[in-house]
Amino acid sequence: MKRATQGIETNQVGRSVPRLESWLKVTGRAEYVHNLRLPGMLYGKIYRSSVAHGRIKRIDTDAARAMPGVHSVVTGAEVKTVVPDPYYGPAFHDQPVLALDKVRYVGEPVAVVLASDPHVAEEAVHLISAEYEELPAVYDEVEAVTSKAIVHEALKPAGTFPDLKHLKGVKNTNVALDFRLRRGDAAKAMAKAERVFEHRFRTQQVMHTPLEPLVSVAESTEDTLTIHTASQSPSFVRIEIARLLGWAENRVRVRVPFLGGGFGAKLYIKLEALVAVLSLLAKRPVKISLSMEEQFFTITKHASTFRIKSGVSGGRLVARECAVWWNGGAYADIGPRVTQKSGFTAPGPYDVQDVSIDSYALYTNLPPAGALRGFGIPQLVWAYESHTDMIARELGVDPVAFRRRNLLREGRPQATGTVMRDAAIEKVLERTASLIEWEKPLERGSGPVRRGRGIALGFKACIANTTSLAAVSVNADGSCTVYVSTVDMGQGSDTAMAQIAAEVLALPTEAVTVVHSDTDVTPFDMATLGSRSLFHTGNAVKLAAEDARDQLAGLRKELGLPADCAVADVFRKKYGMRAGSVLGVGNFIPPYTPPDENGQTDNATPFWMVGACGVELEVDTETGHVRVLRLVNVADVGTPINPRIVETQLSGASIMQLGFTLFEKMQFDAEGQLRNASLAEYKIPGLLDVPAEIVNEAVVAEQRTGPFGAKGVGETATFAVSPAIANAVHDAVGVRLTSLPLSAEAVFEALQRK
Amino acid sequence: MAREISTHKIGGLSPFELAEPRSLGEAIALLDAREPAVRPMGGGTALMLMMKAGVLRPTRLVNLRRLGLDRLEVDASGALRAGAMVTLRALEVSPVVSKGWPIITRTLRRLSNVRVRNVATVGGHIAHGDPHMDLPPLLSALGATVTIAGPRGERNARVEDLYAGYLETTLARDELITQLVVPPMARRRAAYLKCTTRSADDWPALGMAVVLEGARASIVVSAATDKPTRLAAAEEILAGKTLTDALVAQAAKAAQEIQIDGDLHGSAAYKKHLIGVYLRRAVHEARDARH
Amino acid sequence: MRRTVQFTLNGERVEAQVAPHETLVEVLREAFGLYGARESCGQGLCGCCTVLVNGTAVSGCLYLGTLAEGARIETVEGGETLDAVQEAFIERAAFQCGFCTPGFVLMTRQLLAENADPSEDEIRHYLSGNLCRCAAYPEIIEAVKLAARKKASR
Repeated sequence: MKRATQGIETNQVGRSVPRLESWLKVTGRAEYVHNLRLPGMLYGKIYRSSVAHGRIKRIDTDAARAMPGVHSVVTGAEVKTVVPDPYYGPAFHDQPVLALDKVRYVGEPVAVVLASDPHVAEEAVHLISAEYEELPAVYDEVEAVTSKAIVHEALKPAGTFPDLKHLKGVKNTNVALDFRLRRGDAAKAMAKAERVFEHRFRTQQVMHTPLEPLVSVAESTEDTLTIHTASQSPSFVRIEIARLLGWAENRVRVRVPFLGGGFGAKLYIKLEALVAVLSLLAKRPVKISLSMEEQFFTITKHASTFRIKSGVSGGRLVARECAVWWNGGAYADIGPRVTQKSGFTAPGPYDVQDVSIDSYALYTNLPPAGALRGFGIPQLVWAYESHTDMIARELGVDPVAFRRRNLLREGRPQATGTVMRDAAIEKVLERTASLIEWEKPLERGSGPVRRGRGIALGFKACIANTTSLAAVSVNADGSCTVYVSTVDMGQGSDTAMAQIAAEVLALPTEAVTVVHSDTDVTPFDMATLGSRSLFHTGNAVKLAAEDARDQLAGLRKELGLPADCAVADVFRKKYGMRAGSVLGVGNFIPPYTPPDENGQTDNATPFWMVGACGVELEVDTETGHVRVLRLVNVADVGTPINPRIVETQLSGASIMQLGFTLFEKMQFDAEGQLRNASLAEYKIPGLLDVPAEIVNEAVVAEQRTGPFGAKGVGETATFAVSPAIANAVHDAVGVRLTSLPLSAEAVFEALQRK
Repeated sequence: MAREISTHKIGGLSPFELAEPRSLGEAIALLDAREPAVRPMGGGTALMLMMKAGVLRPTRLVNLRRLGLDRLEVDASGALRAGAMVTLRALEVSPVVSKGWPIITRTLRRLSNVRVRNVATVGGHIAHGDPHMDLPPLLSALGATVTIAGPRGERNARVEDLYAGYLETTLARDELITQLVVPPMARRRAAYLKCTTRSADDWPALGMAVVLEGARASIVVSAATDKPTRLAAAEEILAGKTLTDALVAQAAKAAQEIQIDGDLHGSAAYKKHLIGVYLRRAVHEARDARH
Repeated sequence: MRRTVQFTLNGERVEAQVAPHETLVEVLREAFGLYGARESCGQGLCGCCTVLVNGTAVSGCLYLGTLAEGARIETVEGGETLDAVQEAFIERAAFQCGFCTPGFVLMTRQLLAENADPSEDEIRHYLSGNLCRCAAYPEIIEAVKLAARKKASR
């Protein structure tokens, strides 16, 4: 079939191949670590802190240890016998395997009971008690900047990210990162602007709630460790565990089958260090399988406050000042990355050359925040697209027309100074406006139920710089095996990688096997996150397949065989029987220029993601209920490898974001206790929440540096849903909400205040 | 109605005795008036949830499935009689119920989910006492009664008299609901509106049941306080009069005077406002209902 | 404490030693190595633990294992070939991570057994107790409709 771009014919890429693992998933036979049982395995149940901030005075485990059936009880003290410096984290080595000296949030792991019967372990946890000297706590991100309640005595950057080095040993602060970007002179341009607009926006803490809760299993020998884990980053896990133990990397093996959902929750170190240590202490395999409730105490998404100020002259944005405070919770996890990497797109997809951005990562005494689908972008777009709409309305200009006038176009520099390439911002906006019928008059109604329409547009820079390796083996019979450490968590990566390899090797996709992440077998991959895998791993797979293909071509030449000689025959000629294989290797790292002290760089990212959302909805003015009638998701995903999977990724991401927009929220009391840690009280979207009409479309576009013109899509439809809805609510009933979620009560209250 | 939610409400069940008596007398004998750790078990969903949350640690569960309490029929007076072990699903799909009490069929459609309704029983549901539940306010407004068996014999009680507070009923620990009796609808018209404020499928922030019979209104609200509450003041305003919009608005205002508890679904102030809105909407819906 | 419980599992007569507090999901996993029914929310709200007991769908995580005595238990692993529902789910790409899929398959079979041609509204309500965090909901609705058509034509 003809590729929509690139002017080539393809057989595998561009085809909506059904997922390779379909049979396994519909018959319930897909492998998840959730199901794993090993002989002699012990189950670990975690005893957690009941205070938000406190010095540990005593942990009483005697009664638990004495309970029949309990194998052992482990606290931070025992952990230190295996790992003397047991602090981990991708950005800061700030998180202890089990609490030492202090606890920093309600729910922090303090001890673990091991037993071969998980019910016994659970019972024994109730027999543990701890005493804390309570310390003042801080929960709000802006307050954390100046609060006397200091979460960490001193900052401990990991040394993995150069821009954090200057923070080493800094004391008396909750600011884990202060990212700044200066382009041009925003203050000066602002002072000269005709009109200045300033607004403040907030988002709430939410949780990914993958239906397979976080789970890891470790089994050890004297000097080797195998960790079976539901993780999106097996290579990182290996490196970090090896570092903690002081072992060579090749003595740590990390295996990942399918994930029952990830969404960013299953990244870096979650349970892996804990099970590794426990297994080394117990000399038996150890499994820790969290309950749905426990996930809320493990990893979440940053709440945020965003103050955005724009100068406008003649309908053009002439300056933007952004200040963003990210609520990172008690441990940094990948928060500093969110702060920086998302921080630099804070001004939005608009052509503004006088920009200042200050983006702060804050420690607070809440469960840690990390990566969640969108990686900070949805919070930013929530602010800048609500703000942009408000400006347009204030000026009496059509919101789409206003955006058009200010759009960041191909060839123009973004806030980092990087010139835009292959980001179909204009096309995405226009297509969305068209699909939502923006030009057509809308009957808003005059009764208690009013209709409204809204649009919003966001973009994201793919994280840089990161590397992926891949290996592709062509076997003696011509079949193909792909080895990658990219993890299929439902986004279809196995199928996509198979399609790419199959295209290069002129095989049907269904004839390709993809080996699941196993660090003993599959080569290094930075991680499966931030929609990076199709581009990075996909390019690596393409290179590896090309390498294999070239080796085969070389073999044919060497053996004097024609170019169309079947692979099986080539091997038979070479070895006299069916034997042998070729192994192609691909190593991909895109070019990147790190930013200077003003956040300026000519190459900030290997590719941009662009996503817009158009919404038509109803507001019940008597109760505040919002009902989305029509949801339109448009994206630039380059040229899709698998159009059907692309469509379902757009759809799924937008429905997930709908939950974050309308009702999801982690609710804490004044003592930092989470009140709704369960699916009974933390509601996620179900079938009855899905809008009657959802349209998903990828515009015709090309990522020239991507494999067959493709790039990532997993997060794109999360960007603009929230502000599109808020803009539509405003369109319907004239009230503007600046805080998520847009609950019925919040909408109702806003209507009362009008 | 503040609920203590601890961080340790996770996981495991501890061992207990599961008894399956074959007669009502045997079942009652297995219960214990003074012992909260001995519980009767219908479908078990509510019990299992409490056990897994660690708020109930039973020593004995008395399973009622072998007592033959699963008959569903209309009696000679036209009343619906549902044995305590009739599942909510059986009630929902029964043609007898949809013909005679379509409001019950409609209400069940949004009550929890199909799997829960497949297992949960009428008796267990009514005896649980969570103020968010959907059937208690409706059954109260319909004037339904239950038959209760205990060591001293049988007694009847109105459903609306069963609730003392949050998860607290007026049933003694050695008593069992054996049957639900719902009077015939006759010329009555009913509506039950369930207001959810988070996902569409959720416990209600407010449940409003209205049953109109001639000049009388029977109005019971749930999820606003620690038990289903009759809105007597509103009923009085509507009694014997034509249901004009102005009168209904007046009744709605009076209804808002009850003491309301806020929770994760909505603040007290918001629920107060919702009571007014939903009373009005439920009255209109009942007024226009065929049945 | 453990009691011998005998029942039919996917058409086969079996028995297991079950402790009073064990749930049906635990019995299926520990005693029979069947992992299609999974405990996720633990509260009967997500449907990942769906199991059929005497032809009725229940939340296996809230169902005591001892109550399986004498019952006919069916899980997603039963059946030699893919049925119309499973085929339809594949054709309509009605799953992503797959963790909730067995629950949806079993509930859909139940739905179509009770109602051969459900409307979209009926589908949404019947499956409202099955959650999918990947939100493959639109595809699931289409898969149910396709399965209904497939069954009607067989």
